[in-house]
Amino acid sequence: MDYKYIEQLLQRYWECETSLEEEAILRTFFSQKDIPAELLPYACLFKAEEEMKEEARLGEEFDRKVLAAVGETHTTKAQRLSWSSRLRPLYKAAALVAIFLTIGLAIQHGWTRPEGEVGVAEAQPGDSTSIEKVDEATAETEAVADTMLTNADTY
Amino acid sequence: MNDVLPLKDKLFRLAWRITLNRAEAEDIVQDTLVRAWDQREEWSAIRDPETFCLTVCRNLALDRSKRAVHLPLPEQEQEPPDSQPAPDEALSGNERLRMARAAMDELPEVQRAIMELRDIEGMTYQEIAKTLCVTETQVKVYLHRARTKIKTRIKEMDDYGL
Repeated sequence: MDYKYIEQLLQRYWECETSLEEEAILRTFFSQKDIPAELLPYACLFKAEEEMKEEARLGEEFDRKVLAAVGETHTTKAQRLSWSSRLRPLYKAAALVAIFLTIGLAIQHGWTRPEGEVGVAEAQPGDSTSIEKVDEATAETEAVADTMLTNADTY
Repeated sequence: MNDVLPLKDKLFRLAWRITLNRAEAEDIVQDTLVRAWDQREEWSAIRDPETFCLTVCRNLALDRSKRAVHLPLPEQEQEPPDSQPAPDEALSGNERLRMARAAMDELPEVQRAIMELRDIEGMTYQEIAKTLCVTETQVKVYLHRARTKIKTRIKEMDDYGL
């Protein structure tokens, strides 16, 4: 059998000119039992690497150790939550809703009335206090939102 | 953890080649996986988790190797003179195997790591370069030096055994 191809591959292997596929061919060749005498000395390198790959394995015991280590880290970082801290997001959400309602009302009714312009409320007889009522409601909503925000920060 | 645990054997082989100490290598792999777990929220930003883990593993192994530099490596035991083959005795397969492994263990750390990543893990030069934070040219240079040394040792073994 002509082992010229293997000898050429081996020469290129020492020069680091082989591809991964060609190195796999060399590995397969040197893993067989019948190797010609002139190539036999080099078999030990590939056999040694195969041996190293086989013996370097971590079993299930290692997996358990790692999972335990990760579990311990995770447990120590966990914190008990009080009811107030659980409800904090709810307070913040309510405060935001109140703010958006206020802004919405303000946009609807206008923040300011330019002078001389007659508002719809004023144009309606017997209902001249509607704007004041909206202003009062807006002020109250703002006060409620402020209180809620303060409470959220406190918790 | 299911994403990184399958890498354990690959990481172990690299750590073992660098430290030449099995127990140390096992600790390093555990540390590597725990660190990877601690950074799991950033995994989406990491393009190549495998290379990331190999790099972390290698750096940890280097740190431990540097700290242990003055301590005798337990696995590199000196061969008692009586067990050396006589000059007129041909080397057996097992002896060749043992001497090939000893020759590989004597290589400098970076050459050991590159040989391991190329010959055992089947990584490309580009992948090796990324893992070890060197250029592809440097990978080829180190690998060439490593293989040349091994070839020389094999020839010496063969000449000695004749």
